[in-house]
Amino acid sequence: MSETSPKAEAAKLLPFLMLGERADLQAAAAQHVLALTGSGPGRTLLAGQAALLRSLVELAVAPPPAPARDAARALVNLAADPGLHKPLLEAEPGLPVRLLGCVLDPQWPWAEEAAAVLANLSREPVPCAALIEALAAAEPGESGLERLVRALCTPGYNARAPLHYLGPVLSNLSQCPATRAFLLDRNRCVVQRLLPLTQYPDSSVRRGGVVGTLRNCCFEHRHHEWLLGPEVDILPFLLLPLAGPEDFSEEEMERLPVDLQYLPPEKQREPDADIRKMLIETIMLLTATAPGRKQVRDQGAYLILRELHSWEPEPDVQVLIGDEPERGLENLLEVQVPEEVERQLQQQDHQEREQQELELDPGPQAEEAAPT
Amino acid sequence: MERQEPDATFDDGMDSFLEKFQSQPYRGGFHESQWEEEFEKIPLFMKNSPSEIDPLENPDLACLQSIIFDEERSPEDQARTYKDEGNDYFKEKDYKKAVISYTEGLKKKCADPDLNAVLYTNRAAAQYYLGNFRSSLNDVTAARKLKPCHLKAIIRGASCHLELKNYVEAVNWCDEGLQIDATEKKLLDLRAKADKLKRTEQRDIRKAKLKEKKKQDQNEALLQAIKARNIRLVTEAPGEDEDLASEGLSELALYGLSSENPCGARLSVDDQGRLSWPVLFLYPEYAQSDLVSAFHEDSRFIDHLMVMFGETPSWDLEQKYCPDNLEVFFEDEDRAELYCVPPSSTLLQVLQHPRYFVKALTPTFLVCVGSSGFCRNYLQGKKVHQVK
Repeated sequence: MSETSPKAEAAKLLPFLMLGERADLQAAAAQHVLALTGSGPGRTLLAGQAALLRSLVELAVAPPPAPARDAARALVNLAADPGLHKPLLEAEPGLPVRLLGCVLDPQWPWAEEAAAVLANLSREPVPCAALIEALAAAEPGESGLERLVRALCTPGYNARAPLHYLGPVLSNLSQCPATRAFLLDRNRCVVQRLLPLTQYPDSSVRRGGVVGTLRNCCFEHRHHEWLLGPEVDILPFLLLPLAGPEDFSEEEMERLPVDLQYLPPEKQREPDADIRKMLIETIMLLTATAPGRKQVRDQGAYLILRELHSWEPEPDVQVLIGDEPERGLENLLEVQVPEEVERQLQQQDHQEREQQELELDPGPQAEEAAPT
Repeated sequence: MERQEPDATFDDGMDSFLEKFQSQPYRGGFHESQWEEEFEKIPLFMKNSPSEIDPLENPDLACLQSIIFDEERSPEDQARTYKDEGNDYFKEKDYKKAVISYTEGLKKKCADPDLNAVLYTNRAAAQYYLGNFRSSLNDVTAARKLKPCHLKAIIRGASCHLELKNYVEAVNWCDEGLQIDATEKKLLDLRAKADKLKRTEQRDIRKAKLKEKKKQDQNEALLQAIKARNIRLVTEAPGEDEDLASEGLSELALYGLSSENPCGARLSVDDQGRLSWPVLFLYPEYAQSDLVSAFHEDSRFIDHLMVMFGETPSWDLEQKYCPDNLEVFFEDEDRAELYCVPPSSTLLQVLQHPRYFVKALTPTFLVCVGSSGFCRNYLQGKKVHQVK
């Protein structure tokens, strides 16, 4: 047995990953790399191999017979680790642009994997900004962001890839104010097209991404009246996943929005507790202002939340139903948080995040970190 | 063209021409009595143009028309003229004529796809205002085949789908249009409207479904109640096999439960699970009848008779129909036998009688005065049982 270091071993893989190499050798090398990305030390090892990372990206976007899928899956695992974002982008600064091209290509078979890479990357601010830049540098006509929304909202956009991971991608992008401004543009129809996806049955990834996007948008309290009004009518779409097959009286029923009336006995609530949590957060955001609170109340949210409260099995999911807050707290988003409280909250936040990172479980297959 | 110098000879000729009128009257003028009509006939001064041009009546107009609609002009020119004509009719809200003009324009089959697309789209608009939404839709579809990005056609198509209540299609067309112009206000408004109507329609469907289910459940419960009491039902339909499969019978019974008596009475159940039936009382002596719309199964015949005959009815000529005198019978039609019902029995007791068959979910009983001549005649030749 030779005494080569793992680093040297990894470097040996490089020639086989080059474009133009024999397809079977490429495939074997890619599989080997994929296996390496399954472990922490493996990933750290690869992080130091800029040339290898670069060729991995080349393979991920290359046409068959290149092992594009395995290369993409390797990238998914690498991108799941925020510590690897810097080496990845340094090795291949064009990574976001090139993957974006694959994601938005209706014919590309591995568009879902490419989207998963972007979902992982865009969780962090630097790659997120790079992605936004890539979207902005669009072709004439349709903007990149518009195309992304269209790909997400059009069923069958790509016959070979469902593109569920565009949900988390959009959710991450919506952390940026420019994205929110596009989504909430009153002269266009953008956010309205996202609303039906809160009920999308086939993928909790997509649902979660959309709900996350809507939640981020609801931080814009200047848009609350429009969002709650007839042009968007966001509230029913937030309440519907939280509603069960409740048998309300005729009088109660008539108070609910149209979408929530006479739900059949088979109606199920959103099964993912995290998504339920986000939905409630979003509704709470909409109650930050007094007119918002009135709208939410008038549209019968109380009835739905009351039933949810008695049904909710997760202690983590808190359904808060309260009265009018005291003076000075009319707009909860503009309240001044006292410094001491602010510090405490930040500490709590830090502790929570540390705990989450410990819980990240590396497995042999492509691992996707839970999207924010 | 050459610039002509004022001609001295022309002036002279003009003078002599004018001098002529000193002696000869001008012939080509209007007649004093009908100058207004003649004025109207000159194309330049027409206030209203005739819808049909008769060359004999209006030779000038016919001439002008033949210039415009000259077959020798290119199909494009002709089509364009028809388009303009159609647009004029459209502005006057004469949509029928507009359709005809646009159709003529399309018939020219000119080679300009833009022009044809406009003709189709305009005709679609006219059809829309005539309420012919399907024809309108066909026209915009044709327009889009020629020009896929023709926004006016897309807007019109979405509007048609909205009128036809195809809300999903309306939204789809709006989305397609918004891909071409993402800020087109009409499309944004249409889409919001169609989406809301679609969701309202879905609510109405859910409501109806729930109502139907509730009704079915109620009927099922009633049927179960009847079965549990061992009450026998019989179908109305003549010639039906008596050994109907139980499902068939319950289906027909359910139908009976759904439909109401002509008088609006039907079988019902109260909070304690007790049934109330619509019961028909027949008085063969005078060919009269009474309907008790809700005869509680635990109430007795005599209780109802006391109320019904508290005062003798108007048809009771001999004033003998008093509760004490009355006898109640039911008929076993199969065997043509009568059963005399003690007035103190409850309805349930009688309905459970093995020879009682409820027809059309409305129990029927015969009533007459026992001691009367009529009653004796009526009962003659019939076998009468006493119900305990």
